[in-house]
Amino acid sequence: MTKGVLMFAHNNSEIDYFRMAVVNALLVKRHLGVPVCVVTDADTYKYAQETLGDEIIDSAISTIKIIDVIHVLARNNQRIYRDTIHKQKHLPFYNLNRCDAYDLSPFEQTLLIDTDYLIMSDTLSACWDNKNSFMMNYAWQDINFSRYLDLNFVSPASITMYWATVVYFTRSEFSENFFTICKHIKTNYDYYRGLYRWSENILRNDYIFSIAGHMINGLEDRSIPQLPTTLYKTFDYDDIHSITSDSELIFYVEKADQPGEYILSKWSDNDIHVMNKWALNRLGTELLEQLT
Amino acid sequence: MSEKLTKALEFANYRSTLNNQRAILKAKAESLLSYSIDGGTFTIDPGLISFVKLLKDEGMETAVLIDIYDNPISVDLDDFYTEILSRYVEATNDYHAEYGKLSKARSVKSILDITDD
Repeated sequence: MTKGVLMFAHNNSEIDYFRMAVVNALLVKRHLGVPVCVVTDADTYKYAQETLGDEIIDSAISTIKIIDVIHVLARNNQRIYRDTIHKQKHLPFYNLNRCDAYDLSPFEQTLLIDTDYLIMSDTLSACWDNKNSFMMNYAWQDINFSRYLDLNFVSPASITMYWATVVYFTRSEFSENFFTICKHIKTNYDYYRGLYRWSENILRNDYIFSIAGHMINGLEDRSIPQLPTTLYKTFDYDDIHSITSDSELIFYVEKADQPGEYILSKWSDNDIHVMNKWALNRLGTELLEQLT
Repeated sequence: MSEKLTKALEFANYRSTLNNQRAILKAKAESLLSYSIDGGTFTIDPGLISFVKLLKDEGMETAVLIDIYDNPISVDLDDFYTEILSRYVEATNDYHAEYGKLSKARSVKSILDITDD
């Protein structure tokens, strides 16, 4: 059975998602030893060729799939990007094709990951050949360990929230049906927003995947098995201090209830979701040097 | 601000960093104590190790164990026992060594092993 990692990378005017995908693909290669497929668009890919060069891209990514972007939708789907408490911007966020992951993946066993979920260990290797054909997490842990963030439910009166950050799926009837339901929810997003009671306008895959997980098992909460790892996260209030190796980063983590005050936190040998995209972009070159 | 208070606040910062690193160390150890085999995933803990040893002592060569997903997994007890025991010992030894290093560190810089440059 072919195994591999799938990422989606569509740049906006400030965030270079493709560079992040290349960095992460090199980390995947080092820690998981499987091929990587990246789904992108023509403009993003052209920019990557100009800034990174084909040699680096080819050394990291085995398959690149270029798809058409619906520009109007991309412009309308805006989210807040924070670079710590000191800077925030509304920027377009093109994430509309994640529901097509099943159709786009060239692998029989796929780990679908965000470009900013840095693979710094071989923990996710435990997914391969698992008896579960589909896994994703609702359990997560902030590496501050003492901040309170209310992110456990789609909304206070709704279902448990699963994170679409890392999803394992096999080519199976279950996975195919899951992604079919995802596409249906995406098409009827406003209806499901009302039914599952969240207020944000942004199209969020975490919500789509949570609802699909709820629907596919007869409206049962928490019915999708979790990945054999906790989803560790830093937030966009945090920053990166430095990278010390391909499996160790030092973060500035904002203190609980003290905006703009930080502690230093060394993170090693465990995968991590880094939500401050600017921080990752700033570190991109250094990370690439470490990995190539 | 008095010198004494400055020192106390610096100490508070050091304690926050220390507590954070201890929690991270525990998370790392927990990750290392997850073991997957034949499509099943197990959390290695003293209970699992003792149970597998008991089955071995009863003369069994293979057994069906229930994994963290409640899936029944058939395992070869000798190989399984050797693997989980060695992983447990390695993970807890690492945890012990790193924890000891942290306990001896008396500043944020030494906790994180960073220098000024």
